[in-house]
Amino acid sequence: MKNKILNILALFAILAFFSSCEDKLALEPEQSLSEDAAFSSAAAATSVLLGVYSQAQLIEIFGSQPQIVEDYMADNTNFVGSFPTLQELNNYAAVAPNVSIQSWWQVHYRAINAANTLIERVPEIVDPALTKEVADRLIAEAKFMRAIMYFHMVNLWGQPYVLDNGASLGVPLITEGFKGEISLPARSTVAEVHAQIRKDLIEALEDLPVSYASGAQTRGRATKGAANGYLGRLHLYRGEYAEAAQFSGEVLNSSLYALAPDLSFYNQLTSEDVFTIVNSAIDNPRTGAGGWASYYRPASQGGRGDCPFTQDLAEAMGEDDLRLTQLSDLVTDAAGNAGVRMTRKFPDAATNADNAPLMRVAEVMLNRAEALAELNGVTQEALDLVNPIRARAGLSAWATSDFTSGAELVEAILEERRKELCFEGHRRSDLLRKKKGLRSSGPFVEAGSFGAPRTILPIPQREIDINPNLVQNAGY
Amino acid sequence: MKKLLLLSFFLMLGSLAAFAQRSLTGNVTDEKGEPLIGANVVVKGTTTGTLTDVDGNFRLTVSEDAKVLIFTFTGFTTQEVEIGASNVYSVSMAEGVLLEGAIVVGYAEQEKRFTTQAVSTISSDKFKDWPVMSPQQLLQGQAAGVQMVNSSGLLGANSVIRIRGAASLSAGGNPLIVVDGVPLNDQNMSQTQGAPAGAGLNPLMNINPNDIESMTVLKDAAAVSIYGSRGANGVILITTKKGKKGEKTSINLDMFTGFSNPTNLEQMMNTEQFTDFVNDFQRAQGTEVTDYSSVRGDYFDWPTNVVRTGRQNSANLSIRGGSEKTSFFVAGNFMRESGFTIGNEADSYNGRFNFEHEANRFVTVGANINVSSIDMNRIGVENNTAAPLTSSYLQLPFVLPRDDNGAFVNTGFIQNVLAREELNINGYNTRRFVGNVYATFNLAPGLTFKTDWGADQFGTSEKSRTVNLFTPGGSAYRDLRTDNKWMSTNTLNYTFEKGDHAFNALGGYAYETSRFEQVFIAGAGFASDGLPNISSAATPTSTDEIGSEWALESQFVRLNYRLKNKYLFELNGRRDGSSRFGADNRYGLFGAASLGWILSEEAFMKNQNFFNFMKFTASVGTAGNDRIGNFTSLALYGGGADADYLGLAGLRPTQVPFPALRWEESRQVDLGLSMIFLDNRMSLDVNVYDKFTYNMLLSNPLPFTTGFASRQENVGEMSNRGIDIDFNVNVINKSDMSWSIGFNAGFLRNELLNLPESAALDPFDNPFIPGSAAQRAVAGRTINEFFMVRANGVNSQTGDFEWLDVDGNATTTYSANDRVYVGSAIPKFVGGINTNFNYKNIDVNALFNFTYGNMVLIDGLRFTENILSPGFNKSTALLDQWTEVGDEAFVPNLASPTARFFNQPSTLQLQDGSFIRLRNLSIGYTVPQRALGNQDVIRSARIYAMGQNLFLIKAKDFRGPDPEVSANGTNNLVQGESFFALPQARVFTVGVNFGF
Repeated sequence: MKNKILNILALFAILAFFSSCEDKLALEPEQSLSEDAAFSSAAAATSVLLGVYSQAQLIEIFGSQPQIVEDYMADNTNFVGSFPTLQELNNYAAVAPNVSIQSWWQVHYRAINAANTLIERVPEIVDPALTKEVADRLIAEAKFMRAIMYFHMVNLWGQPYVLDNGASLGVPLITEGFKGEISLPARSTVAEVHAQIRKDLIEALEDLPVSYASGAQTRGRATKGAANGYLGRLHLYRGEYAEAAQFSGEVLNSSLYALAPDLSFYNQLTSEDVFTIVNSAIDNPRTGAGGWASYYRPASQGGRGDCPFTQDLAEAMGEDDLRLTQLSDLVTDAAGNAGVRMTRKFPDAATNADNAPLMRVAEVMLNRAEALAELNGVTQEALDLVNPIRARAGLSAWATSDFTSGAELVEAILEERRKELCFEGHRRSDLLRKKKGLRSSGPFVEAGSFGAPRTILPIPQREIDINPNLVQNAGY
Repeated sequence: MKKLLLLSFFLMLGSLAAFAQRSLTGNVTDEKGEPLIGANVVVKGTTTGTLTDVDGNFRLTVSEDAKVLIFTFTGFTTQEVEIGASNVYSVSMAEGVLLEGAIVVGYAEQEKRFTTQAVSTISSDKFKDWPVMSPQQLLQGQAAGVQMVNSSGLLGANSVIRIRGAASLSAGGNPLIVVDGVPLNDQNMSQTQGAPAGAGLNPLMNINPNDIESMTVLKDAAAVSIYGSRGANGVILITTKKGKKGEKTSINLDMFTGFSNPTNLEQMMNTEQFTDFVNDFQRAQGTEVTDYSSVRGDYFDWPTNVVRTGRQNSANLSIRGGSEKTSFFVAGNFMRESGFTIGNEADSYNGRFNFEHEANRFVTVGANINVSSIDMNRIGVENNTAAPLTSSYLQLPFVLPRDDNGAFVNTGFIQNVLAREELNINGYNTRRFVGNVYATFNLAPGLTFKTDWGADQFGTSEKSRTVNLFTPGGSAYRDLRTDNKWMSTNTLNYTFEKGDHAFNALGGYAYETSRFEQVFIAGAGFASDGLPNISSAATPTSTDEIGSEWALESQFVRLNYRLKNKYLFELNGRRDGSSRFGADNRYGLFGAASLGWILSEEAFMKNQNFFNFMKFTASVGTAGNDRIGNFTSLALYGGGADADYLGLAGLRPTQVPFPALRWEESRQVDLGLSMIFLDNRMSLDVNVYDKFTYNMLLSNPLPFTTGFASRQENVGEMSNRGIDIDFNVNVINKSDMSWSIGFNAGFLRNELLNLPESAALDPFDNPFIPGSAAQRAVAGRTINEFFMVRANGVNSQTGDFEWLDVDGNATTTYSANDRVYVGSAIPKFVGGINTNFNYKNIDVNALFNFTYGNMVLIDGLRFTENILSPGFNKSTALLDQWTEVGDEAFVPNLASPTARFFNQPSTLQLQDGSFIRLRNLSIGYTVPQRALGNQDVIRSARIYAMGQNLFLIKAKDFRGPDPEVSANGTNNLVQGESFFALPQARVFTVGVNFGF
């Protein structure tokens, strides 16, 4: 009798389990949304757009690593730190499996894919809050971000447009979001990539706002001013000076932008900032991830001290230049050398919250000045664009009589540009687009000469391995 | 006293015998002194004999000319004793090589004799006195087909366990570990602190090895298929010690203390060597020459200052016993350990309570409860410039840890590790509860129902606080993780025997679910180093909360049939449903069939004396692998700090969907032959297997142009074939002296059979999946194939360093296009040799383990042998430079352009990983009973000494800390690589053990 009761109890216990647990297997993720949910409303789609900006903050895009390379492959700084993959680039000894280069490539395409998906899916969203104006603006911002990331990539992996009018290979152009079908794209030419960049920027210009509700957003998100600024830079890089002068002029015509009165504007989001990727302490959780200051600040301030001034740059600036005296100090670098000069443009090595100044008014003025000098030779109009920058640095104004030719003025503007924009990631591209070599002394003069294979980066070996349609750059 | 009386009685009887006969008496026990009941005592060459009684006593009348007594007992080694003048013969018999009796298998026990499953058992007597922190250490070199690699000499370092090779590419490769029926959580529960993903801290370090009675390694399909979707990597069943009903209470106290040192350290340059080297190179290459004049006089030998003598102290107390209806085992352990690098310490506390009670003749209830905690001081490891050893190698030799006033200085990116370990907090605490309660109901004769409720509640807390010296204002983080599992297993078991037929059926239902939660907060900017907690931070840099859950629902069945005790049949089946897979493929079926034939029971085998036992087994079946994380089949967008901008919430795509995602399966065929021969002196077990993995779960690398790095898919097929051999011999088996030797080896051939069309093609058109920058899984080859440029050394004529191009011609241009396959990280065979020697009260145990035929990449050499960078110190190996024609040098002419590429990844860093290591050597002395004197307190006493990793035989030119490496831990796609891993510790221990 007792047995029977137990038998029945046991059977009940088992049956109860069979029936009750089925739905326990249908679990949902807690930290993520499905793609459909991410494109279900104006608010969610706006978040996806902000996610594109957020990825642009990363060290692999505008968070410093490609930018320091622009400066140390050229002549502004030397990489003396311990990272072999970064050290290799300093010595023109990089190889295709270089993991740093690989991650820059990876993260750019990751952010571009997010932008592509947004551009495709926003028109499908049914949400009364998503007015046409908002939808167009979201798409325009995504196009702007896509354009500047492709511009960044083509400068890193492609030879300058001026070498052969963009006939050499750039990077693969992906303009559609990934939907599961794996494609193996070939590299587009530099000219083709430029065409896409220009198309995106022109289309974005139409729908981008002049400004946003908050000042920080006006400086930190895509605006008409930012698109004009980038169009100006693009044409300058292509040697199309009329357009360069025109688009740069559009920026300077706006009352939103003006040269900051002194050199304290870094990280302040002032009228100096045309487009700046804004960082905060939470965007680089813990210092391990690094940022601008981790390379440009010494160990005593929490950085690594990897990238001091070259002697050449310090001498070029001279002790009179406030940009030297106010924006640098003498510290100990990563190789243990005391008394070397390092920039103070990016001071926060504790949380790496320094902003990435991607386009400043000073650059736009220099862009226009250079374009005007190329077009019209020595003019007061061009000098008036440079002189305020010199004045801010404590230097005397130029007069037309100081220059015998337009070419001489262009050279002077380039030198001024070097001093103004050093350590902000411009130098390598500025030299190459003017058909100049990257190093003027030392063992790598030849390796760094204009058009030389190692002035541009190798396509990551992993990508070559997976995608047989990719052609490696010469010399790797 | 009773025995003595009996004995006297027998003696008296004996003396009464009047004719040419003697009466012999005696007592037969096992090695522990327990009486053997029913042992056979026979006069050699006659049929005169008897059996021992319940107390192990015998009495036998023999003729005067009888010379030798033979004692035999199943499972014990036969003993012969010469008959002399004495009439009393008491014999202690040694257990034979065959462990008769029960072995633990999935959800049940089986007679070892009758099992058709391929399993290896490691019982506690094989590892008594071993000072180990974690159960898997006990597997090394002990079981054929089990490869166990320590990832480093760090306290609590994780290890890699492979049973019959890796059965997967991307899904986890470690076996399922089950403690008393509770499958343990093994998710990573710590920040990596430099260790690559897949390594990290060992999730099993909370299990006290002293509590383990036996470990059973389930290997073939017959054994693992009842674990269904989690069985493909093999299963390790841990059974903890239990009391015995009716056993006298015994108390055991074990204490040991030990010292540890690193087995090997690299030789780095001093200041003079370093500054000369850098300047020589700069002059040779024509670059700016650094002026080191101000630091030439400074030198600090960092490596020797970050190592020290580590200490180990342990006290383990256990009490076991039982009454008629109740049995129990209670144990407590305290262990304090400090590693051989500064800053690495661990205190562990462990308590166990196992009990079982027979409530009435229908119901038995029991529980196995383990609570433990570990308090640890962590250090960074491997790829971390805050790791003491890594940093000490890289630190510039003229950089001093303290300034002129004796205060610590910040040494920059290569951290001042002396200051870090002195000033910072880097703590790690774990609390873990593993246990189950159960009730068994005897429903009818032969029919039992068991319901078992288990839990694994694992919580960890990690705290880091970096002082102002390192980051302005200081920074801190705290990481709290919990992984809480509960489960229920309900089984019906029916046993039926009649005549020649024996039948057993097991059916069960199990449900298991676990929830992982993590809270991570970080802050920066403190007013003072005296404020340890994040609430004092000015800037909260991270606030993170994560939760994730999985559930598994299963039904399983096992059917056993045995005919005439010699023909064996078994079927296993399991149906698993998992939340981890898409709704379409949520359930999977797994099963196995096996048979066995005990040849030694056949009539034709009865006429020989050579084989005592012979069994042939064959099995075929499937098992699966579900270790892919929880929601990998879905397209996901994630938020948080990686997606926000300007303080506004953002979203970003994080995962590509693969809706058809399903189980990975392994189908395994196993043929086994088990033999015992020469009077139970020798045993040989040979298993041949062929394991075929299909629908492989693979994190398939996508071109980055898709926007994603990889996608989880079911693609490809892989084969692992091999032979497991286990050979044991009792060389000497006398009552006061014995010597046994065991040898085991697993031979493995791994081959990746095919990959999806989307996979990358190598220059020879073989599809492959990249694992690391240096290795890949290649169709037609192994899954851990090194693909590197071949280094050809320095040309003695030109002074240039040379590599080999694809065609094998020497070249002075380093190019990734010249990479070829240069060997696999998978050993051809691994195994162990153990030997045990006893003479009277002295016992000596030695365990060797060996690995043969694998390559290892010592990746740290790319840094220590980097000519280019003045930013960190270099190995003295770089002093061997080419200077003139004819020099056979390691390093090229410093002026050569090849010098800049010298340290690029090549076979220069790839080494032969074969080794044989004396893992353990122990000597013990058991104090004789008479020496303990006439007292009732101490029942037994033993002292022992032990050395670990005493010597290592490795490849002749091996450069690097240790050939035993697995920096990437459980990652199947990256094996045999190391990046500044801590070498294994050499440990000397002495201990005492008392029984009360």
